[in-house]
Amino acid sequence: MTSVTIAPGSADISAAPRITGSGKGRAWAYVARKAGLLLLTLWAAITLNFILPRLMPGSPADAALAKLAQNGPVSDATKAAIEAQLGVPTGNILEQYVAYLHQVVTLDFGVSYTFYPQSVSELVSTALPYTLVLVGVVTIIAFVLGTLLGVLAAWKRGTWLDTLPTLAGSFASAFPYFWTALLLLFFAGYVGRLFPTSGAYGPTASPQFTLGFLGDAIYHAALPALTILITSLGSWILGMRNTMISTIGDDYVTFAEANGLKPRTVALRYAARNAILPNLTSFGLALGGVVGGSILVERVFGYPGIGYLLFNAVTNQDYPLMQALFLMITVSVLIANFLVDILYGVLDPRTRR
Amino acid sequence: MKHPTRRRLGALVSAIMLTTGLAACSIQIESAPDPSIPKDTMLVAADNGSPLFERNFNPYMTNKRTAAFYMYEPLVVLDNVTGEEHPWLATGYALPDPSTVVFTIRDGVKWSDGKPFTPKDVAFSFDLLKKYPTFDLQGIWTYIDTVETSDTTVTVHLKAPDVPAAQLIATTLIVPEHIWKDVPDPSTFRNPDPVGTGPYTLGNFAAQQYTIDKNPTYWQADKVAAEHIILPATNTQLDVATKGYDWAYSFISDVDGAWVGAGNKNTYWFPPGGTVALFPNLTKAPFNDLNVRQGLSLALDRKAVGDSAAEGYMDVAGQTNILLPYQQSLLDPSIPDSGLVTQNQQKALEYFAQAGYTQQGGKLVDASGTQLSFTITTANGYNDWLKGVQEVQKQWGAIGIDVKVSSPQPAAYQLALRNGEYDLAMGGTGGTGSIFRDFNSLLSSDYLKPVGQEATNNFERYSNPEADDLLAQYKLAVDPEKQKQLGYQLQNVVYNDLPILSLYYGGSWGLMSDAKFTGWPSAADPYASPKTYESTPLLVLTHLKKVNDD
Amino acid sequence: MSTQSIPPSTRAVRAIEEASIAPAPSPLKVVLRVASTVWSNGKARIGIIILGLMILIAVFAPLLAPYGARQNGFDRSADASAAHWLGTTAAGEDVLSQLIWGAQISIFVGLVAGLLSTVIAVLVGLSWGYVRGFGADVINFIVNLFLVIPGLPLMIVIAAYLSGGGIGMIIVVVVITGWAWGARVLRSQTQSLRSRDFVTAAVFSGERPFRIVFREILPNMTSLIVGNFFGAATAAILAEAGLEYLGLGDTTVVSWGTMLFWAQNSNALLTGQWALLFAPGLCIALLATSLTLINFGVDGISNPRLREGSKR
Repeated sequence: MTSVTIAPGSADISAAPRITGSGKGRAWAYVARKAGLLLLTLWAAITLNFILPRLMPGSPADAALAKLAQNGPVSDATKAAIEAQLGVPTGNILEQYVAYLHQVVTLDFGVSYTFYPQSVSELVSTALPYTLVLVGVVTIIAFVLGTLLGVLAAWKRGTWLDTLPTLAGSFASAFPYFWTALLLLFFAGYVGRLFPTSGAYGPTASPQFTLGFLGDAIYHAALPALTILITSLGSWILGMRNTMISTIGDDYVTFAEANGLKPRTVALRYAARNAILPNLTSFGLALGGVVGGSILVERVFGYPGIGYLLFNAVTNQDYPLMQALFLMITVSVLIANFLVDILYGVLDPRTRR
Repeated sequence: MKHPTRRRLGALVSAIMLTTGLAACSIQIESAPDPSIPKDTMLVAADNGSPLFERNFNPYMTNKRTAAFYMYEPLVVLDNVTGEEHPWLATGYALPDPSTVVFTIRDGVKWSDGKPFTPKDVAFSFDLLKKYPTFDLQGIWTYIDTVETSDTTVTVHLKAPDVPAAQLIATTLIVPEHIWKDVPDPSTFRNPDPVGTGPYTLGNFAAQQYTIDKNPTYWQADKVAAEHIILPATNTQLDVATKGYDWAYSFISDVDGAWVGAGNKNTYWFPPGGTVALFPNLTKAPFNDLNVRQGLSLALDRKAVGDSAAEGYMDVAGQTNILLPYQQSLLDPSIPDSGLVTQNQQKALEYFAQAGYTQQGGKLVDASGTQLSFTITTANGYNDWLKGVQEVQKQWGAIGIDVKVSSPQPAAYQLALRNGEYDLAMGGTGGTGSIFRDFNSLLSSDYLKPVGQEATNNFERYSNPEADDLLAQYKLAVDPEKQKQLGYQLQNVVYNDLPILSLYYGGSWGLMSDAKFTGWPSAADPYASPKTYESTPLLVLTHLKKVNDD
Repeated sequence: MSTQSIPPSTRAVRAIEEASIAPAPSPLKVVLRVASTVWSNGKARIGIIILGLMILIAVFAPLLAPYGARQNGFDRSADASAAHWLGTTAAGEDVLSQLIWGAQISIFVGLVAGLLSTVIAVLVGLSWGYVRGFGADVINFIVNLFLVIPGLPLMIVIAAYLSGGGIGMIIVVVVITGWAWGARVLRSQTQSLRSRDFVTAAVFSGERPFRIVFREILPNMTSLIVGNFFGAATAAILAEAGLEYLGLGDTTVVSWGTMLFWAQNSNALLTGQWALLFAPGLCIALLATSLTLINFGVDGISNPRLREGSKR
């Protein structure tokens, strides 16, 4: 999953929710019901995460052997040695499932097959900061910038301030991620030699909290960040613009205008504030999806984040790593979803039914 | 809104025109070495992080850093292109009888921490593999019974007479006893500060790049030209072509234009590293019929298949499982045309007729009128194989066979191959550098497993008492001349019985630059494989000369 | 859903507005009204023209393409020339011909996968919105599950499982991972419609639930469904390209996605064949843009405020 996972979420909410008080008991019942559903979905997702990798034909050892076999015949003992090295699961599927549930509860996913003898937690904790910073920061920038441009577009409807961002945004968001990434990489990286072509920091540097390293890291994140920004900005602009246009026509906005408030005040204080709500939902979910990183972008730029790790895990059938990553992504999306639901329940009591 | 619309449409059209126009001019990539890299330092694309490096120099792990091969050495380096053995930590070995191997250990070799290297280290390393079978990737303990040492020798007693096993055992990497004996759990030991006998020791290590430095106490230090080697974690083809790499192992499309054309005195050498072949499933009709295999073989234009697969950079492979031209001396001279099979559709149809297949309305049909139809299995992502298969599909289609292609993910492909659940499969064979192993893994009925059970070798499920007998004799043959004669006979088995259909040679994609170092292996001087991993780089690294030395 | 999707808020707005439409208009009228409203929007008109051109190119590929898609034997990695306007690939195939033939697959996958996921979204979304109690909870649970499982990895796993299935496999993968979002939006709309007077009236007149859902409620969601279709098709086109670029599709088929795969694989940038990388990407972007642009017009169907020229 990539940066901008805009789920429709609770998009069925009026653009101008009214906050009203209601019985405390009902509110708690609502939260409890949502929490129950959350737990059930969580269990199902966890189980699905267990089943999915095992649906793939061939075992992790087969994947490793296929790589070796490209270089020539693999000896008789190799397979057994590799299987033993990887710790390929033994026992029947039920035993594996119980062991897996134990891992989930203790959050200890053991050793990765692909990166043996590194443990899953070691790998995830190395990769996570890069993805969180890169994809997280860009998602926030894209949301803020996109929303502002969307407000502007709706407010200055029909002028170039509307047409340009809307058209450019819809065109840019139609680019395949990896394609934008490849072009940026080639022209800014190899032809122009303006930016580094791979990695999260300079080749000889090692991660530390200094200003110099930080600058280096930002310099290396520039191209991947730009790629995600270009391809995701458009949907935020369009989303905000369209809700805003609807809100501007609402009675209370007309009323405010009739009362002689300045157009700018009306646009920003009344229309934009209410129009931003549905977009906030999408934003919450997009943030939930951040931990998934951006597989295609990270792959193209050789960026050591979760997306790259996930791709390696999936293509090498690394069950422990896959399970841990899938779990992490599902849980954060679920929690984001849950929080958004609760938030909406608070802001708009009508949805509690 | 009408006019802006038209203008926008105009802009789109001009954007498309611009693209087309720009396409007319192409951009030539130039190689520009990083000026901060000194002349005595080599930039090598040998190790790929995913995308970061883990500091693992345990030579017995599959996930070790590649440079562990430049730090730990075997008793004998076997070059897989020429099939030649180079005495290394052993000055030689002898087989007083087919089940005893005596290695004479080189004197004066030191570990990089200054301690002397002794036969005890060899015995310790062998024992380590016995204790931790996960380390025994080559399976040497399937042959070894016991190991004993003297001051200068290591004697290995085999479980059964097996001359070729000596070579396999000799390629085991040796670690220092004085360090490894104190490692609490070698099976998970990442050996972050490696101490070896090899030409290089670890310099700076970072997750995205590490350097190795020349070992000043190396036993042939005078032969090592490069003072430092830099190994980055990311080596895309664009990097390799633009950043002034000295050595890389990679197939670059249009290598003359993209690599040689990039300047920096770039050269390349792509010797055969194995044979790419079609494995017919011999447990299935009609592939169990030699006439059908003959027909299929003769209907192939192997040159076109090879060209299509490797863009014309690799030669067609003869039907002998021998890598030409560098193993010419091992080839049976009586096999016509060096084993090359030329396309002959007429003869192919004659063979098919003997098997009961005749052409009817452009289709090759059996007696009941059913068209000959089967699937070729290859692995997704092995693109040269896929392109080769598509060419095969075209050629067999031309004589009326209905050929389908299936390309599952590598793991699923591997499983299908091992379980014998395929009609015809693409696969690699040979190229180990050992004639015995090349043929043993292809023909030996020891590996025979019923369909549905995993076979580790002999995927085509060939069974021939004559071949088994030849292999058994080979195990007993101490005399090189006798080995050569047995090799000839094994080649004839493959040539006449077609257990596989050879297509073209799989390449060893060596990309080298003469800018800083010369003396790379080449067609004119094929002293070693140009590959950057395993032990053959030791041959290269001790053979290079600095440019200003000339 | 793999990477991008249309902004939900547009759907949300549509959903609200649509609720005010009168019950059960005649299908022909709906289609005509939809068509004329969409066409009246300048952006949508560009979209329709681009899409139309691309469909024409795909349909007439046999006439337009100078060579066959897989026809090889030309010079390898050649620059653009009179014989090969966009040069040739590393395998010696004509890039322009591949581009023209490739349109067939990309458009086909986009439209079919878009259609199928819309159909599933409509069936699930409408019944979900109509039923109450346990049934709704079960559907809610399933849809949520599909929404939270990470999309691209799920696609990769399914693609690996179904490998060798070709174009059909790609469509199945894209549909499996892409229907849930639409279902959720349509369910919300159904829920808000079911409390309307005309539905209540239908219930009292004894109509069966199935008929109420598909005869009374469905026609009132035309623009939402059409919008969902274009959104799903856009996502499908981008997902197909992403999967094929990763080498998980059928690399023997010529489509824009596989062209990009082979371009990357033979390092087209390095050999200077960058039209090979540039052109298919641009075509994918144009196709996806055309669908997004058409959606601007679809937005205007039910929400007059979003029609061009109407200032409030």
